[in-house]
Amino acid sequence: MQDLAPRPVEEFSANPPGSSRTVIKVSDLTVGFGRTTIISGVNLTLMQGSIVALIGPTGSGKTTFLRSLNRMNDKVRGYFAGGGILLDDQEVLSDHVDLLELRRRVGMLFQRPNPFPMSIRDNVLAGVKAHGLAKKSEHDRIVRENLERVGLWNAVSGRLHDSPFRLSGGQQQLLCLARSLAVQPEVLLLDEPTSALDPISVEAVEKLLADLAEEITFIVVTHSLAQARRISDHTMFFFDGHLKESGPTAQIFEDPQQPETQYYVSGRMG
Amino acid sequence: MASDLARKTEEPQAPRIFRPTTKSPLGPVKIASAVSSVAPLLALLAILGILVHQALPAVKYNGIGFFVHNVWHPGNFYLQPVTTNGVLHPAQADYGAWAIIVGTVLSSLIALVIALPASLGAALVVSKLLGPRVRNTLGIFLELLAGIPSVVFGLWGTLTIGPLLSRDIYPIVAKHMPDVIILRWFRGSTGAGEGLLTSGIILAAMIIPIIASTSRDLFAQVPKLTEEGAEALGMTRMEVTTKVTLPWVSAGIIGATVLGLARALGETMAVAMVSGSVLGTLPTNIYSTFNTIAATIVTTLDSALIDGTGLAVRTLAEAALVLMLVTLLANVGARLLVRKVSTTALPVGRGV
Ligand SMILES: Nc1ncnc2c1ncn2[C@@H]1O[C@H](COP(=O)(O)OP(=O)(O)OP(=O)(O)O)[C@@H](O)[C@H]1O
Ligand SMILES: [Mg+2]
Repeated sequence: MQDLAPRPVEEFSANPPGSSRTVIKVSDLTVGFGRTTIISGVNLTLMQGSIVALIGPTGSGKTTFLRSLNRMNDKVRGYFAGGGILLDDQEVLSDHVDLLELRRRVGMLFQRPNPFPMSIRDNVLAGVKAHGLAKKSEHDRIVRENLERVGLWNAVSGRLHDSPFRLSGGQQQLLCLARSLAVQPEVLLLDEPTSALDPISVEAVEKLLADLAEEITFIVVTHSLAQARRISDHTMFFFDGHLKESGPTAQIFEDPQQPETQYYVSGRMG
Repeated sequence: MASDLARKTEEPQAPRIFRPTTKSPLGPVKIASAVSSVAPLLALLAILGILVHQALPAVKYNGIGFFVHNVWHPGNFYLQPVTTNGVLHPAQADYGAWAIIVGTVLSSLIALVIALPASLGAALVVSKLLGPRVRNTLGIFLELLAGIPSVVFGLWGTLTIGPLLSRDIYPIVAKHMPDVIILRWFRGSTGAGEGLLTSGIILAAMIIPIIASTSRDLFAQVPKLTEEGAEALGMTRMEVTTKVTLPWVSAGIIGATVLGLARALGETMAVAMVSGSVLGTLPTNIYSTFNTIAATIVTTLDSALIDGTGLAVRTLAEAALVLMLVTLLANVGARLLVRKVSTTALPVGRGV
């Protein structure tokens, strides 16, 4: 798709006031499938407790980048990754990394809700059980806590043993969020998490992210420029497989440095 | 979904053109669909009716004893026929189907125990682990396997597999199996290769393609997004399979299993060739020779026709009726099971 030659990309730090711990540090990341390089030369440092928006035209590599962070691309045919991704000083791309633990620490919420075929309660507990995070006696508390966190408790407390597929789409997505939160991730990757939801559910999810951002670092892919502006501290603009520009959200939208960014955030592209 | 559609068509503001045409209640389409929808039911009722009619004298003569004892004695054709309960029959005729009912159910259960894990494993490997080209090739093989005539399976069983197993495998298993509950069944005399276990294995080979190809199609329907969600949560491949993939399609798998079971219960030729065809005795271990209802019908029909009173043939009709009943029970059981798994969480298949 494009050449391998690295283009200069400024280093970018998402560093909200009051927090200083580096959670993820990506250096010179190159990712591709087969003989095609999809993204190259990405550098970034992510501090704990920030919300980072990933924007860019379709096909620019946002999803590919996101799925590299928790190694969900691993099983894709021909996938390769070069450079480095440090999660708390641990190399994510190393062969020795415990993938299961990595995915517990770096969770993921998908574009459309994807509840498991088990009761609402078991959905919340699915990851907790898989990782053996809690004793059985604590399960009730965990279910309640996480459903409360996503504001779903009142709606579902009476039917915890029911199918999740009878919930509304928005409720299902909140349930998936509760399921992700239950394993106490440090980072949550969200790939267009609200694109299939109605405005009220969108608002609920956005508010939640803001509330949770102190403990968890969010990387949110979104096609909604308004949403990126509303919820993120920092914005990364992907273009043609490169991190074209990044910085505080206000700066990216108000004073973009690159012509492509300017063009994109003014709504004339993608 | 159907109810959604129905609701939509009832909406008053729906454009007239989309409403069901209630004006011509007897259009050709309506008649055709009415006929085709009741045709299977009529066929079933007709078969059942004829069978009941045929079996009735036997039912009267054999009584409840038919289900609880194990003799298969057509009687003495050289003596004067006798009338009992208003049914003319050869003297000393005595029929009990308990052993062949047990044989039918046991051989099919053995087949299921072998076929279900094998089919699910094969379907999972084919649909989740292999590339598309290998997948398609294997799929073709599965379908070919499903099309092999049962007489070929039977021949294969009596000539090759049966002798091989009874010479090289069964004795070793029988020797080393501990003398405890259930496993005790694998001890004792292993016979010459015709019997329950060999039949079960042959039946399994016949129903694996049925269950495996249906399961493969089912697994392909599990949304990738859901499986990826489980993976992204840090579940192992095994956990993804057992917690997400299998439950997603469990209703369908039960359906496929019942299809396979029905095939095994009713299989005639192959079993007739590898069962050892003994009548009137219960199997003593898993290698015992035995017989099934279907195999009994086909192997004894010729001699039954000699019975001038017709009782022997009518008894076979009664046996066939019992076989239909057993298959029906399996179906009902499956339906209950589906209802049970559906209430827990399934997105689809409530009405399966
Ligand atoms: N498995 C794959 N094999 C080869 N190419 C791929 C694969 N997955 C993605 N691509 C390519 O990588 C490029 C980036 O895709 P990606 O899905 O990351 O884009 P995106 O920015 O998320 O787009 P969108 O906004 O539409 O979701 C695209 O050109 C796509 O065709
Ligand atoms: Mg994408």
